[in-house]
Amino acid sequence: MTRAAFADGAARGDGPAGAEHEVAIRLRGLVQGYGGAPVLAGLDLDVGAGRVVALHGPNGAGKTTLLRLLGTRLRPAAGTATVHGFDVVREAHEVRARVASLPVFGGAYGALSGRENLRLAAALRGLAPEVVDVAGLLDRVGLTRAGDHLVRAYSSGMRKRLALARLLLTDAPVWLLDEPYAALDEDGQALVDTLVADARREGRTVLLASHDLPRSRGTADAIVEVAGGRLRVVAHLGEGARS
Amino acid sequence: MNDLRAVLWIARKDLLQEARSKAVTVATVFFSAVTLGVLAFAFGQNPDLMRTGAMGALWVALAFAGVISAAQSWQADLEDGALEALLGWPLPRAAVYVGKLLANWLLMAALGVLLLPIAGGLYGADLGPSAGWLVGIVVAGTLGFALIAVFYAGLTANLRARESLLPVLMFPVVVPILLAAVRASGAIVGSDDLELAAAWLRLLVGFDLVYAVVCTTLFRFVVEA
Repeated sequence: MTRAAFADGAARGDGPAGAEHEVAIRLRGLVQGYGGAPVLAGLDLDVGAGRVVALHGPNGAGKTTLLRLLGTRLRPAAGTATVHGFDVVREAHEVRARVASLPVFGGAYGALSGRENLRLAAALRGLAPEVVDVAGLLDRVGLTRAGDHLVRAYSSGMRKRLALARLLLTDAPVWLLDEPYAALDEDGQALVDTLVADARREGRTVLLASHDLPRSRGTADAIVEVAGGRLRVVAHLGEGARS
Repeated sequence: MNDLRAVLWIARKDLLQEARSKAVTVATVFFSAVTLGVLAFAFGQNPDLMRTGAMGALWVALAFAGVISAAQSWQADLEDGALEALLGWPLPRAAVYVGKLLANWLLMAALGVLLLPIAGGLYGADLGPSAGWLVGIVVAGTLGFALIAVFYAGLTANLRARESLLPVLMFPVVVPILLAAVRASGAIVGSDDLELAAAWLRLLVGFDLVYAVVCTTLFRFVVEA
């Protein structure tokens, strides 16, 4: 098994305010497969709080599967995965409270407007809609003018921008981003870079799956290749290397 | 309090979507009207048979419309990964179920109340004196039906053969609700026997309570990975 580590020690906490060397994401012997074919074959990984790790790999390598496992949308066939010390199976509710996911599809309701989708997401995450600056979020992702249009009329890039706005609703300490650059124009991709940089500055942990390796090199602390059901560290990138 | 708020937001979302698309309303009203019309034609000109069968026809129409409504209610959640995103948020699975149940029940109950006078007119049954009772039976019967239908529609939502599997799975379970509802409403329209109607209504409410507890408790196993 390959063990990739980007942090020392382990702790159970709430994220940015937690310990300096807290492990935000920990995988041990994680196995998952579909129809008997293993996709993830015993992954070990430690990601420290506040780190940005890019997952790179061919289609079907298991990047999305890994993100779905960490987002509690799949149960591992074997092994364990924890987020800030909380097990993704036994303590799924605690994990969900600490994770914000950007799905590969937009994850919005087509018959609602962008603004209504954000209000719904805020309410269902336990936030009072009146304290959420929906207009500010729409403005931040460049959807001010389209905020009142039904999402079914959005392009795929606009849907991705709306999903980014939904990500910003919460102060979740862990972000799981599945193909964040896909479907976005150059401005949108730069927006993702800015949001990830802001997240790092705020102490959030970001795990992002992307095919855009050059782009990921500009934002991540480390690049990890997912292939053949295993993880392989491709690069540790310092501040200098990133810039 | 937060859970109740989540329930209301999910119900509001489903009702808002329906208000804009009208997919369920158009399909269920049209289907129910055709069912009532065809059965009225089949009963012929026998006034006694028409009057006795009026409530049976009403519940047949409501049952089939209810299947369409429940299956459709999960459709929007499956588009564009919306359900996937919803289930990634820290809200109780029971809140998702109860929210969808609430929206479905309101639509079904409204359809039932709309169909009551239509069935009465078509089948020559005088509903006037006990209309309140009939509305109560429709409300209780549609609740029991929606409890089962929303649960099984969620169970089959991700399956390719969901349209054929849903009625096969849910109708055996929903039969007690339908029988009790037909008997309760038939006792009023057929013989104006309020005592008999009350007995069947109590049984109907009992079924509702049992299904409410079971479905709400088990729903998380339906949507958990």
